[in-house]
Amino acid sequence: MSEEMTWVLQAQQGSDEAFTNLVETYQKHVYNLCYRMLGEPESAEDAAQETFLRAFQHIHRYDSKRPFATWLLSIAAHYCIDRLRRRKFSMASIDQDEEEGGFELPDADAPNPESEVVHNEQREQIQGLLRRLDSVDRAAIVLRYWNDCSEAEIAEALNLTVSAVKSRLHRARRELAGLWQAETPRSKPERRPHESPAF
Amino acid sequence: MNHRPFEDWLLDDQPLTPEQKRDLLSHLRLCTSCSALAESNLALHTTQMISPTPGFSDRFKARLVRRRSEQKWRQMVGILVLVLGGLGLISWLAGPVIQEALSSPAEWITTAVGYFLYVLTSLQALGEAAAILLRVVPSFVSPAGLFVILMVVSGFSYLCIVSIWRVNRLPQGV
Repeated sequence: MSEEMTWVLQAQQGSDEAFTNLVETYQKHVYNLCYRMLGEPESAEDAAQETFLRAFQHIHRYDSKRPFATWLLSIAAHYCIDRLRRRKFSMASIDQDEEEGGFELPDADAPNPESEVVHNEQREQIQGLLRRLDSVDRAAIVLRYWNDCSEAEIAEALNLTVSAVKSRLHRARRELAGLWQAETPRSKPERRPHESPAF
Repeated sequence: MNHRPFEDWLLDDQPLTPEQKRDLLSHLRLCTSCSALAESNLALHTTQMISPTPGFSDRFKARLVRRRSEQKWRQMVGILVLVLGGLGLISWLAGPVIQEALSSPAEWITTAVGYFLYVLTSLQALGEAAAILLRVVPSFVSPAGLFVILMVVSGFSYLCIVSIWRVNRLPQGV
């Protein structure tokens, strides 16, 4: 039996210590998902903490046939989607948040300040684009690219079919590419002499 | 411009053969939309995970303790409200009966029999009233009206059931 499964079983029997080990193992994955979904460190921290609390309270419902990470990320994704839906209807809209200015990102271990600046720019650009996606599409993208989940795992986590996940991922990536193209200044593509403008 | 099969290759994230790579690169030099797809793909693949600030698990432990004490407090308040409310209701309902019973046993028995007969005759009267209504209503309410009333009652019942379900359901994903 794996160490993780032992912790899960101990946590199911009420061990706080075992569950803390699971928190330490998955904190980065859950926090990153919440951060990518909600876009603010404070909300991400709160959502990640709430995810672990919900997981702890309902750990007896965890089915050991499923990967623990997928179960945990499913709770986090649903919590964030729900929060985004509520935020949509509340007074504090995302647009307002955007107007309020940038947010401080936790310091990643980068020895080179120049590459850190480039990384920060890229992070903020991706974060800005992610914000414009539908919340379920955003969750699918984050699970796919940051958590390396397969389409089947994403489907399980988001209660979708595999084909729905596939089409959501395609749609989201097309949308991201469109936004990327609109936001990144670029030169026009070269056209070979005598080539048709249609190609 | 024809984006096939380049767009599919990019969207499917599948490993490409050297020839496919060469063809894709030459297409990307000409096609802005596919090159945007490739660039955004690259950004998605290379943007790092963000870690929480140090001490996350300690903050979790503290929150767990706080949540537990909140739940205990809420449970205690709930039980207290339930007990006090129950006691109040019982004393309000049973107060007159107890007074009667304490004043004289004969009177208590008479009152109990009276109450029993009262409940029995009330139920009988209600049954008769319902039977009369069922006989009379269809004569002055059209079938469409009856249908509307039935729909309203079903809608209300549905709302009640959904509300109870929403209050008691588990968080999604659990």
